[in-house]
Amino acid sequence: MAEIVAAFGVPHAPAFPALVAREGPNCEVARLYAEVAKHVAAVAPDVLVVFDSDHFNTFFFDNLPTFLVGVTEATEGPNDQTPMPHYRVRGHAPLAGHLRGSGLARGFDLSLSQDFDVDHSIMVPLHFLTPQMNIPIVPIFINGLAPPLPGARRCYALGEMVRAAIKDWPERMRVAVLASGSFSLEIGGPKIPHGERAGTPDEAWARRVQQLMQQGKVNDLLEEATAVRMARAGNIGGELLNWIAMLGTIGERRPRFIEPQVDHGHSYGAWRWD
Amino acid sequence: MSVYAVNKLCRDALHDRGFREALKSDPAAAMAPLDLAEDERRALLQGDVAWLFEHGCHPFLLAYLTRWDLFGLTAPVYSERIRKARDPRDETAA
Repeated sequence: MAEIVAAFGVPHAPAFPALVAREGPNCEVARLYAEVAKHVAAVAPDVLVVFDSDHFNTFFFDNLPTFLVGVTEATEGPNDQTPMPHYRVRGHAPLAGHLRGSGLARGFDLSLSQDFDVDHSIMVPLHFLTPQMNIPIVPIFINGLAPPLPGARRCYALGEMVRAAIKDWPERMRVAVLASGSFSLEIGGPKIPHGERAGTPDEAWARRVQQLMQQGKVNDLLEEATAVRMARAGNIGGELLNWIAMLGTIGERRPRFIEPQVDHGHSYGAWRWD
Repeated sequence: MSVYAVNKLCRDALHDRGFREALKSDPAAAMAPLDLAEDERRALLQGDVAWLFEHGCHPFLLAYLTRWDLFGLTAPVYSERIRKARDPRDETAA
């Protein structure tokens, strides 16, 4: 039977690959991704389940899923002009299909795509964590950008469902879970700073989220992460839902490593119990 | 209501180089075939992103316009205008 062996959370700013190429392995962003990558390599998962919010690149308002499982043998990207290498990565269609079926059986009406590419929000994390693209992924997309968003408790329950479904998978398999996204970020909205096109409107919230995760206080996080609170943290603040779903797959564990970049409104984390 | 068409215009500006170039060289002509309301067309041509935001267009997509200074929207101009928009998030009770 399959088991979840670790979980990770990282941001995915599209500028980061170019920034690290420019500033080298000692810059803060490179160092923080490398710390998480070290934990990924140490647990050597067979599959990576990725909770992610697409940015209107893979899906658009003609058909916008709240929750969608990508059931495919392979995907590629980024598909959104992000200045970084273009990658192809394998999917794990049988496990993805199983997760979707388990969701439907347990009251989660999950949408399906068998043919899609992905944007920077998946490829930037993989670029830093698994640059050889040697670990197949199962992407689960959560609408974190176009309100109304799903609720925090619903996303946590989605993660709990994924945990149960993985336990039911008949083959031996080591699964890790990756959450992609920020806690406080405004792009193009009224809360951006003077002269900029993006900013971090709520550093206090980003710090609060990071501290609650550090302390394993999941219930407090679910209580505080209301739609209003997340929206005030920025129009991209709903990406926290990916982290919350990830926490649902592992419960109230404390991370082995978590470090914020508070002025960016995000954190880098690794949960392990080996 | 064609908020959809404005959002799609922004997205197509990113993904479709030909459309982007057309928007740069003659925005009114490039938008002529699109299913935009007249006030949306006016707001786009004036770079009135506050109005577009207040009428439901997604700011993440609107911000694409600054990448190529479409409709005169340099990043500073865009920032100055959108910061004056009415923000429903500040009006809801916590």
